[in-house]
Amino acid sequence: MREFTMPGKSTEERLNEILAVCLTELVRDLGANPSWLLGGRPENATGDILAAFVGFGSDNVRGSFTLLGQPRVFARLHPVPAEGNKRDLADWARELANQAVGRFKNRVLGYGLDIAISSPQSMVAEQVRITKSQKDLRTPLVIGIEDMTLESWLELDVRSGFTLDDKPGSPTEAVLSEGSVVLF
Amino acid sequence: MKPSILIIDDSLTVRQQVATILTGIGYEVIEACDGLAGLEAARAHSDISMILCDVNMPRMNGIEFLEQFKGDGGAPAVPVVMLTTDGTPDLIARAKRAGARGWIVKPFQAHLLVGAIRRIVGDAARDSVAP
Repeated sequence: MREFTMPGKSTEERLNEILAVCLTELVRDLGANPSWLLGGRPENATGDILAAFVGFGSDNVRGSFTLLGQPRVFARLHPVPAEGNKRDLADWARELANQAVGRFKNRVLGYGLDIAISSPQSMVAEQVRITKSQKDLRTPLVIGIEDMTLESWLELDVRSGFTLDDKPGSPTEAVLSEGSVVLF
Repeated sequence: MKPSILIIDDSLTVRQQVATILTGIGYEVIEACDGLAGLEAARAHSDISMILCDVNMPRMNGIEFLEQFKGDGGAPAVPVVMLTTDGTPDLIARAKRAGARGWIVKPFQAHLLVGAIRRIVGDAARDSVAP
């Protein structure tokens, strides 16, 4: 399991980086070759946009994760051959967001942050605009997948004074990693 | 008769993914979209060989399902394996205490899922008996 030691960075920055790595790993696990793109969503992006949201929280950190992309990028990552109808892809977008945040939850536990996750939601729209109403909504991470893009936003509200542990503690060793199978 | 497996997950994609894999190797698959629907399905199908159950679901989550199902007295011997994104030790311990037989972290690999099911239920093709 990868360690995230980022001296000098704020808790928000560290959480953003951990989530970025989790999402990138997940996309790779789904058989795509992701790359991080600078500059946000391409201006020529047109047509329907699928968005999926997952909320999470603990005593110290509350937030939400939003995943945005054209339907075809979700179709590309779909684990079974899909007909590509919007209902199926919206369902898959929810599950993809859920898996990304689930992986994030498993990682941050080792740094002393134990979060609970809400049920994911999704929507389809021609235009999706993220309003910057919350204080720590940062620049999105945009992942390139072939000629498509997948965009993620992490909104965070960190309790004043809370910091992640510098290095992962013992719980990390006990957290099952993705793909693990354990029979009791 | 084919061994039947109940998959409880709010994601249609995951249910389709599991159903595609398991029907392809001879199991019958029953689907439910959350813990409440899972309880109804389990009560309606007394011949279920095994249950695969997500954790994070609306209405009734997978741990609540497991605790109710195992406390139901109806079919406590039916093995339940949790299939979830969550790999945290406390939740795994709670599921184990409630009687879960195993834990699989998504995204899963098909051959490992099949291996776990065959170990618990047996080989569908071998065990199938013509009616």
